[in-house]
Amino acid sequence: MIESQRHSYHLVDPSPWPISGSLGALATTVGGVMYMHSFQGGATLLSLGLLFILYTMFVWWRDVLRESTLEGHHTKVVQLGPRYGSIPFIVSEVMFLFAFFRASSHSSLAPTVEIGGIWPPKGIEVLDPREIPFLNTPILLSSGAAVTWAHHAILAGKEKRAVYALVATVSLALVFTGFQGMEYYQAPFTISDSIYGSTFFLATGFHGFHVIIGTLFLIICGIRQYLGHLTKEHHVGFEAAAWYWHFVDVVRLFLFVSIYWWGGI
Amino acid sequence: MAEIELKTAPADFRFPTTNQTRHCFTRYVEFHRCLAAKGDGSAECERFAKYYRSLCPGEWVEKWNEQRENGTFPGPL
Repeated sequence: MIESQRHSYHLVDPSPWPISGSLGALATTVGGVMYMHSFQGGATLLSLGLLFILYTMFVWWRDVLRESTLEGHHTKVVQLGPRYGSIPFIVSEVMFLFAFFRASSHSSLAPTVEIGGIWPPKGIEVLDPREIPFLNTPILLSSGAAVTWAHHAILAGKEKRAVYALVATVSLALVFTGFQGMEYYQAPFTISDSIYGSTFFLATGFHGFHVIIGTLFLIICGIRQYLGHLTKEHHVGFEAAAWYWHFVDVVRLFLFVSIYWWGGI
Repeated sequence: MAEIELKTAPADFRFPTTNQTRHCFTRYVEFHRCLAAKGDGSAECERFAKYYRSLCPGEWVEKWNEQRENGTFPGPL
């Protein structure tokens, strides 16, 4: 920190990552459209764009990590930014997933005559909610409990225990994703099998995608905990990951009750 | 001159909405379930035929007949 600084705010240095991320996003959208319309070089531009975004994410977060953990710029007041910021982020994620629940309810509460006025539509052999779904729901909820265990360990200053708890959290998350993959592989219907398949895979698929993001987030937290980056007083990254994880948990609960159970019997 | 009696399907409390799509569909299904139970050309089923014919657009009936022939009709027959 600069010696002459008389306030606790973080004045950031100029950084190339906002523009590099934007260019990556531009290449991804243009490349994506070109690819989907079979233009020459579309796949190349799309891959380049995605690589560029991934690279930007890596180096940008690396910089944030250096500024916070190594240079000490994330004072108490600076920590409020990412804390308050993660609330509207998660709220927007809730709204995003709500749309898929709404689509599913819209199609299943008053099934149209095109699908015979019944739900599940005729000819759709649904998954038994008492099999993998009923096993996977408590697995993900246990992972949510394990992340709370990790939180308490961090607050108590038990560094090793927090690493173990995070390993448990991530392991349960990976088991969940594994089972989910198995369920998809064995599903007797596909995303193109009527509105049932469309809504089912859209909702469970986006949830699964969020589980994977949350798992990566928790893995990063585990590594940082192992490296001693997280302290009793300063672990905003971990808290954001935990909030995100609880959000993913709640969505799973609703998925189980409304799509697998209510919509599948 | 003989009086011609014009009649549509009677009001059905299962379908209280202005949109009578499901009413038409249900009557169509009921007609075919009736035929299946009582045998083809059964006079008892005629009233269901009258109902669905007065409620359903002709194209829908044609489409559903075709689907029944192909075994792709989605309703609970």
